[in-house]
This record gives sequence, C-alpha cells and structure tokens, in this order.
Amino acid sequence: MPIPIEDLWSLVPEFWLAALGLLLVLLDLFLPGDRKRLVGWAAVVGLLLVLMPILGMLGTPARTVFFNTYAVDGFAVFFKIIAVVATILVILSTMDALRGHTSFEGEMYVLLTFAALGVCLMAASADLILLALSIEFVSLSSYVMAGYFKSDLRSNEAGIKYFLFGAASSAVMIYGFSILYGLTGETNLYAIADRVRTAPQPALVLAVGMALAGLGFKVSMVPFHQWTPDVYEGAPTPVAAFLAVASKAAGFAALVRFLMVAIEPGPVDWVAPIAGLSAVSMTLGNLLALPQRNIKRMLAYSSISHAGFLLMGVAAHRGDFGAPGLLIYLLAYTFTNLGAFFVAIAVGGRLGSDEIPSYAGLAQRSAGLAAVMALFMLSLTGIPPTGGFLGKFYIFGAAVNNGLLWLAVVAVINSVVALYYYVNVIRVMYLLPAPSGGSASGPVPLRLALGVAALGTLVIGIFPQPFVTLVGAAAMLLRM
Amino acid sequence: MLLLDWLYVAAFAVIGLLLAALSLAIVWVLSPRSAYPQKRMTYESGVVPIGQAWAQFNIRYYLFGLVFVIFAVEVIYLYPWAIVFRQLGKFAFFEMLIFLVVLLLGLAYAWRKGALEWT
Repeated sequence: MPIPIEDLWSLVPEFWLAALGLLLVLLDLFLPGDRKRLVGWAAVVGLLLVLMPILGMLGTPARTVFFNTYAVDGFAVFFKIIAVVATILVILSTMDALRGHTSFEGEMYVLLTFAALGVCLMAASADLILLALSIEFVSLSSYVMAGYFKSDLRSNEAGIKYFLFGAASSAVMIYGFSILYGLTGETNLYAIADRVRTAPQPALVLAVGMALAGLGFKVSMVPFHQWTPDVYEGAPTPVAAFLAVASKAAGFAALVRFLMVAIEPGPVDWVAPIAGLSAVSMTLGNLLALPQRNIKRMLAYSSISHAGFLLMGVAAHRGDFGAPGLLIYLLAYTFTNLGAFFVAIAVGGRLGSDEIPSYAGLAQRSAGLAAVMALFMLSLTGIPPTGGFLGKFYIFGAAVNNGLLWLAVVAVINSVVALYYYVNVIRVMYLLPAPSGGSASGPVPLRLALGVAALGTLVIGIFPQPFVTLVGAAAMLLRM
Repeated sequence: MLLLDWLYVAAFAVIGLLLAALSLAIVWVLSPRSAYPQKRMTYESGVVPIGQAWAQFNIRYYLFGLVFVIFAVEVIYLYPWAIVFRQLGKFAFFEMLIFLVVLLLGLAYAWRKGALEWT
C-alpha cells in the first residue's frame, strides 16, 4: 500500500526535528571542543523555526494520517508547542550548566532535540505500537541524559535507576497493550474504541491497569513515582527540568488520548481509580515534600503532587472545564516549573549547592533571582495573579462539575499543605540573612530562559483569554 | 466467547510444555551416560579455555559490538528491500537512502569520537 503524499505534509514538524537532530550531530563532529555552544544555539534556532509549521497547523481540521496511526489535531499541536518551547528553554539553561562536568556538551543538545521529537510523536500517536515506540524513544534519550555526568556517582545512580524503572514499567505497559490487542484484535486507538464495548470486563481491566503502569511511570503518578526524587536529584538540573515538564506533559498526552479515545466507550469505569490515584498522588507528594532540604528533591515531590492535580483534570474530563483545565494547568505548570528549576541551576551554579538553607539571603545577593523564584513558588501553590491559579481554578471547577466534590476538597487541603513548603523557600530567601557576599545571578542564556518562564507564568495568570481560547480549540478536537 | 478463544491459547501452552518435557524425559531415560572431565569444561568454541569467565574485558569490545550490530541490522533490512526493489519504485529508493545516511552518520560519529581506534 503506497502512502499518500499529502500525509507527508502533515509530518513537516517531525521531519524537521529529526533532520535538525541529525544536522546537530554533524555540526558537533566538526566543531572544536571550546565552540560546542554553537550546537546549542543552532538547536535553539532550529526549534524556533519548527514552531512555524506547528503553529500553522492550529486551525486545520482534525484528521489522522498514515492509515489512522497518527493524529493531526489541536490536541497534538498543543503538546508539540509545549514540547518545543520547553526544549528551547531547557537548552538555553543547559549552556553553562554543563561546563566543567562533562566533555560531551554537543551531544546534550542533540539528545534534547531528539527527546523533543519523541514527545511530539507521543502526543500524536493514535496506535498502540507507535505509542509504545515513541514512549521508548523519549525514554532512551532521557536515560542517557539522566546519567550524563559520568564521573558523578549520583548522576550514574540517576541514570541506572531511571533505566531500570523505565524498562520494567514499559514491559508491563506493553504486556497490557498486547492483552488489549488480544481482546479487540486492533492496535489502532480509534478501532479499539469500536470494539472495546464487547470486550470481557476482567481482562480489559487488567489490560488498562497494566497500560497505566507505563504511562503512570512517565507522569510520576503514585505508585510508580519512586524514581522521581533520586533521578531529579542526581540528573543534571536542566535534564531534571526537562523530565519534570516535557516528559510529564507527553505522558499526560498519551494517557489522555489512550483513556478518552480507546477506553472511554468501553464498560470499564476508569474515572474512579484515576480519581483515587489522583488523591493519593497529591497527598503523598505533598507530605513527602514537607521535610525536604534539597531544592531538587523538594521539586521532585512537588512534581508528584502536581501529577495528582493533573490526574484530577483527567478524572473530571466531562463538561467544559475538564480537558481545557488539564491543558491550561499543564501550560502554566510548564513555565512555572521550568522557571523554578532554572533558579536552582543559577543558584547551584554559583554556590555549588542545591540545599534550601543555602538560599538564605538570596534577596540581598540577587534581588531579581529571588523575585522570580518567589513568583514561581506562588504559582506552584496556585495563588493569583499567577498562571498556577488559573490552572487550579479550572481543574477544581471541573472536579465539582463532574461530581467529584470529595476530590476537590482533598485538593484544596493539599494546596494549603503545599503552601507551607513553597512559602518556606520565599521565607529563607527574604527573611534569613545571607551567610556571605557575592551575587548569584546567572549567565545570559539562563537569564533569558528565566525571563521567558517568568513572563509566561505571569501572562497566563493576568491575560488568560488567548490561552483559554487555545486550549478550548485543542480540547475540542480531541475526539473525532 | 472471547475468553473461550483464550482457552485455546492456554491449552496450546500446556500441551506444548508437556511435549517438551516428555521428549526430554524420553532422552533422559533412554540415553547412555558417560562422564569424563572434558565434558564438564566451559565450551569455548572447541578451544581449551584460559583463565576465569569473570575476567575484565576491554570496553572497546562493546563499542565494536554495538557498531557491528547497527550494520548487521542494516543488512537485514537491505535484503528484502533489494528483492522487491523494482516493484517499490523511486519512493522506496529514497526511503532507503535516508535510512542509510542516518546509519552512516552514526558510523561517522563513532569514527570521529575515536570509538574505532583500538589503542
């Protein structure tokens, strides 16, 4: 069967990203060791250019290409935008974070570009096989990046741990996929949706549960979260930022498409378990974040609790608030969490420490850095006028609309608990005296990334209208 | 009825295992046995083994192994492609060209980074 040529045009962004990655490999081969940063700038330019064809697809009608295996809809476009923007910011923040730790600087930009391609593929896969392959694609790039600092034992531990957890959960997920294929005779999500009604219940529950293991690992949902703190702490901080944002977003894209397209028409009630896992994730993540002294571990547990909040958006998918709420929460979370990690990069680069007590007096040493960190902490808590508030507002509304009042109550209590450890960082920065002098502002590319993250966090909170329109369009095109 | 279909799979698995066990059991019962020291030696392609299996190997063996696997896979893809090349036409030609260029880039990377040097 020949592939229609028009289908290829729908994949321009993916081809572009693949070609960009290969070009960066080539560029890295011929640049001398001290000019490797050019690879990073080339990656940034290439990623900025790929935004054009992606944005060009915003208004086009939803369809699938390549024999229904690949979706071209607003939902996928939304996640492609998140992936590319997050990758650009992470690359900017990487440029000085690698110096002195590794002699392989160029490869990091290549890996990040390929990981961005993987995230795009994950968001658009409409076939179990393609989904499994693209998840592996993101994972393989991430394993290497997590263990990037070869001489750093913690980084080694992060790489190995991430690999072992990832391999095991992928295996379980693919086994679940194979059972689903056995039950329906199809690998295509839209075709499964037609057959899933008549599938026998117990086996279907088993298949969906096993598939959730792999996807839950990617979004660091309890009980598949144990890798998160160790990997975030050990991995290079920009990589932790990428895992916390782009990789998690891709996991949610795949999870939502899988559940809402393929499983929703079936007899399995997946809303109740997802709501339960959501409550457990946000509570456990928050409680474990409370005693953390290391900023990266704190952000890791906070990312587990945010996975819980996002799962609440998945559970409350019916009505006008659910899917748009999930997307707008993810958008705000992308900018906010990237920003928080970038501050950790700036402080860690200057002081050589990721411990929260070493943030003491940051307001005197670097007023700007402390101010944006305060903004990110407030947004992670969900206090207006930040983007985090808008996301929480939508998701809470969706939960109430869907009759999940108990979950909304749990979430509100959790937000109050979270206030303690987020505001603690602000307290340390502003109220404690600085132990020693010296400014802690970062290099130019990092400051640029920080500025964009702060701007994004604020703009989503203050002028939400264009973003609400965007996610409205993205959520509407989800089901075909 | 779908679950019934799965019963066939289960029956197949059980019968298959039984058959395998049965044939092993027949051999075990019927075959003559003679033990001599060479029989208990580690098989090293017919050569008398030297030293312990827990020796440290040079990491370069793995690098060469990896590069070799890339091209072994390439050949596996090239054969079926070459057989139906005429029917597939230009599209398949360029597809394979892209595939080969990507693999060659991998080789160039390994070469440039010194993975192909033994010393």
